[in-house]
Amino acid sequence: MTGEITPPHGSDANIVREHTAIVAEYCDAINITDNVRGIPTMSSMVCARLILEAGSEPIMQMSARDRNRILFESELYGAHALGVRNLMFITGDHTLLGSHPEAKMVYDLDSVQALQIAKHLMGGTDLAGDELEGIPDFFIGATFNPYADPLEMQVWRTEKKQSAGARFFQTQALYGLDRFEEFMSELEGLDAGILAGIIPLKGPRMATFMNKRIPGIKIPESMISRLEKAGRGLKGAEKREAVRGEGLLIASETIDAVRKIRGVNGIHIMSVGWESAIPELVKGAGLHPRPR
Amino acid sequence: MELKSPEKILEMLEGKHRIVLFGDSGCAQMCDVGGILQLEDMEDFLVENGKEVLGYVFVEGGMCDVNAFQQELDENKEIVEQADAFLVQACGVATQTLTQLHPEKESFPAVDSNFLGNMPERFKHYEQCAMCGDCILDLTGGICPIARCSKGILNGPCGGSMDGMCERDEDTECVWQLIYDRLKALGKEENIKKIWELKNWSLARGPRKLEHGAFFEEAA
Repeated sequence: MTGEITPPHGSDANIVREHTAIVAEYCDAINITDNVRGIPTMSSMVCARLILEAGSEPIMQMSARDRNRILFESELYGAHALGVRNLMFITGDHTLLGSHPEAKMVYDLDSVQALQIAKHLMGGTDLAGDELEGIPDFFIGATFNPYADPLEMQVWRTEKKQSAGARFFQTQALYGLDRFEEFMSELEGLDAGILAGIIPLKGPRMATFMNKRIPGIKIPESMISRLEKAGRGLKGAEKREAVRGEGLLIASETIDAVRKIRGVNGIHIMSVGWESAIPELVKGAGLHPRPR
Repeated sequence: MELKSPEKILEMLEGKHRIVLFGDSGCAQMCDVGGILQLEDMEDFLVENGKEVLGYVFVEGGMCDVNAFQQELDENKEIVEQADAFLVQACGVATQTLTQLHPEKESFPAVDSNFLGNMPERFKHYEQCAMCGDCILDLTGGICPIARCSKGILNGPCGGSMDGMCERDEDTECVWQLIYDRLKALGKEENIKKIWELKNWSLARGPRKLEHGAFFEEAA
């Protein structure tokens, strides 16, 4: 059971502590995102350290959009020095989808090659072959998106990530499950843990926004109309409660369903700013208390 | 290439009165910025805005060919000498070459250079090559992921590829989908099933220079 919290859009470390406190008891490890859609938020390495200090296990996300190989190596040394052991590598969303579209994107390498770098450093030398003063050791992972195309090539790419060193995968948010089941059957035999990604929907507007603006998301129309129906005829706080309740219900149903799919080892809930949804969903799924 | 805005061009030429325009029959004309038609349009625009256009220097071929450019400058010696400023309707190579040939005068770029592309029909241009210095088209079925993937990644497609389109916008094709389809058709999908190692980007950074040896002599 892992959960994802959103880093602050500013320098307030207490926000990280507060979000960690909300989800800590319900997650075995907590992901911290890395400048999603190119919208600058507090450094994932700093947040990972704050999560550690709060007594939880962080999973630090690193995007290939904003770092070249030099910064990857440098930050991997730093992350290990700070006690961070779990890393998750992503390509990174295109900056045109966020608030800083004029930024120069890096993409010196991609997520597969980022995994390779982390694994390489664990061998005791840097990319130039020079010996390291202190060898980092990490548990490294990546993502896959079962809805992305072409399916066969996304499967190959997942296998590439596994052979590059990924020992766990956290998937893009899952809604309709047919395509995920197909993807999972293609991945049979993959030697890595797979955590099914869940994003609870706050309402129909969020769902429509995500379909439009978040890469790789496919929320079925039937789910959007369930959210609309839940709020129909209601107003204000009452409407909000009803719609959010339906969003949690949809997420709970998805959790129940993915747990029955062969090859799924765990659940990864991405809060997208709705941290309090994580305890609700974990309790609802009967996955609380967590083993220590 | 595309012409800068009229406001920008006037801003650059502030205080300059007698102008000579530069174009060529190569890329400048092909890219619809510095053929005779565009030089005429530019002359009309500048005259309307109170400038004097002394004439054109139009190079057959490209202004990157320094000898051809010098010859054309020599033939137009009079207007070149009288000019307050040069306005170059071609890429940055042309503006810089002119700066090197005539450092005593200022050469201004009328154009923004965007990319190396092709022209499936007149006035439409599509990027094809990023000049990365290490061509891999042999492995990708003749389709370039460096220039045509919005992230330029080597182990694509990323998780944002859907229904053949890129996550960046609705009009951009996912080049990895194209590469996949093409390699499947060629029976060469093994090329993209293996991990592509880190790219040597040092070859993609300038300043670069080339002095060609005799390839065929070396090969023999």
